[in-house]
Amino acid sequence: MANLADSFLADLDDLSDNEAYPEEDNAEAAGADEDGDDDMLDLEALNYDDLDSVSKLQKTQRYIDIIQKVEGALEKNIDLSNQGFILEEDPEYQLIVDCNALSVDIENELIIIHNFIRDKYRLKFPELESLVHHPIDYARVVKKIGNEMDLTLVDLEGLLPSAVIMVVSVTASTTSGKPLSEENLVKTVEACDRALNLDAAKKKVLDFVEGRMGYIAPNLSAIAGSAVAAKLMGIAGGLGALAKMPACNVQLLGAKKKNLAGFSSATSQFRVGYLEHTEVFQSTPPALRTRACRLIAAKSTLAARIDSIRGDPTGKAGRNLLEEIRKKIEKWQEPPPAKLPKPLPVPDSEPKKKRGGRRLRKMKERYAVTDMMKLANRMQFGIPEESSLGDGLGEGYGMLGQAGSGRLRVSAAQNKLAAKVAKKFKEKSYGSSGATSGLTSSLAFTPVQGIELSNPQAHGNHLGSGTQSTYFSETGTFSKISRP
Amino acid sequence: MGSAVLPTLRRKREVDAAIRDTLDKVLVLRFGRAADAACLQLDDVLAKSSWDISKFATIALVDMDSEEIQVYVDYFDITLVPATIFFFNAHHMKMDSGTPDHTKWIGSFSSKQDFIDVVEAVFRGAMKGKLIVSCPLPPERIPRFQLLFKDV
Repeated sequence: MANLADSFLADLDDLSDNEAYPEEDNAEAAGADEDGDDDMLDLEALNYDDLDSVSKLQKTQRYIDIIQKVEGALEKNIDLSNQGFILEEDPEYQLIVDCNALSVDIENELIIIHNFIRDKYRLKFPELESLVHHPIDYARVVKKIGNEMDLTLVDLEGLLPSAVIMVVSVTASTTSGKPLSEENLVKTVEACDRALNLDAAKKKVLDFVEGRMGYIAPNLSAIAGSAVAAKLMGIAGGLGALAKMPACNVQLLGAKKKNLAGFSSATSQFRVGYLEHTEVFQSTPPALRTRACRLIAAKSTLAARIDSIRGDPTGKAGRNLLEEIRKKIEKWQEPPPAKLPKPLPVPDSEPKKKRGGRRLRKMKERYAVTDMMKLANRMQFGIPEESSLGDGLGEGYGMLGQAGSGRLRVSAAQNKLAAKVAKKFKEKSYGSSGATSGLTSSLAFTPVQGIELSNPQAHGNHLGSGTQSTYFSETGTFSKISRP
Repeated sequence: MGSAVLPTLRRKREVDAAIRDTLDKVLVLRFGRAADAACLQLDDVLAKSSWDISKFATIALVDMDSEEIQVYVDYFDITLVPATIFFFNAHHMKMDSGTPDHTKWIGSFSSKQDFIDVVEAVFRGAMKGKLIVSCPLPPERIPRFQLLFKDV
């Protein structure tokens, strides 16, 4: 985990363009390297005896300097009206920037020390690390318990919630650990003390920055609150760097990378960093949180930019932005306007949508009037038609089967598709020339003349002459083809 | 009398104005009294459907007990209560529903949809230029009544 944090810090170092803090960058890089090396050493030899080689931060000059200055400043309660200075040159501002960097370093240091304590205490009480997660709480508990085997003699009130105390006591009674050796115990307690000291120092530093945050960045702290603003500045590496970041990056500052290790990432939290702890964010309903965090990040970036040029020292712009954010979130929560029932449309005012296409044509063909039906509907002048029951009873046949018509036996109705296929067949001359269907014969028996031969070419044109134009006929060909 | 949504007409000139001024919409005039039960049921159906058909119909209630309206009661020969008369562009629209009287609709409607169907049929016929339309409802849903002719 320390490695991750270190690499993140290293990335931010690359981001910041400010030439004014070369030594700070160096010190940070040095600190990062240090921690990185120590971590490697730590991994190699888990039971490292000497605490000092593991955690060096408290001995560095930088740390001591800054802590001294912070304490001095806290006691002095500096007069805040020295706004004549340009922000970057103000020594107070420098101190605040250093404090930001230091607080991040302290956090890393704490993680290393926690690992150290955990490794040492594993011999005595291995289950404790899974029951008490927070490193500072862990250090306090370890210090309180010491080398005691019987937990009923140890009073953990106030250090942990009572439910956890109960679980710890129960686990301790069945633990497989053995008491530590004297020197191990001493080292462990020393490490705990150091952890608690570092924690106290970090608190001091953060309090100091928070107190001055209203002076340094009034607009940003109006929106996000001083604690979050201080953290953001710290991790960004200064107000200038924070102002130069796009809002999407600001949203992610301080986001914890969840180490899933086998758990599904389907329920993972959306990406939001330190801004998660702002009051505005906490008070929005969970459904709107993604939109809200984007909004807050955008407005706080604006505020940071205003602060970096000292555009509004009173913080009024920040308060306005906060008001805007609140109003927008409220507006998202109001219910949609009620739907009015529409009156019915005027009948027959909207024409029906007609469909077309091949499918519809095929469907319509099933109900189309066939040639047979057409013939049956017409009669020739002066010639009585035949009927199904004879003598005028039953259905009349019209021109169907009468002598004058071109057809003798009317074949089944040809639809357009069959006509196209027939035409293709004709061209390829698969069938006998002229005959359109294999079943029609040229011979037929008629009542008047007996056997008749019909001219197959003539059958199409008779129908066409009276009623249908052969110009667009599917089966008709050129009426006159002259070959040269 | 009637419902809050539908206007009630008590004077002759109000009825005249309604018939004259409703353009390109079916005018539904209900002649009836507030006390009658069938009348109240009809009023309920009319009120509920007034918004839905507002694009092609307007509805009004006419109080039969007012003196000025007696002219209309005599003209349209209204004896049974309630009676509904349809107009379109100041023409009186008749509807053949299988009853002896085509000039008006006697009685209530069994549902809102029936009323809307009837008004739509009147509208369609009127737009085509007809003065009498046939009723789209099946005979079970048409209220039947006996016409007495001089107490015979």
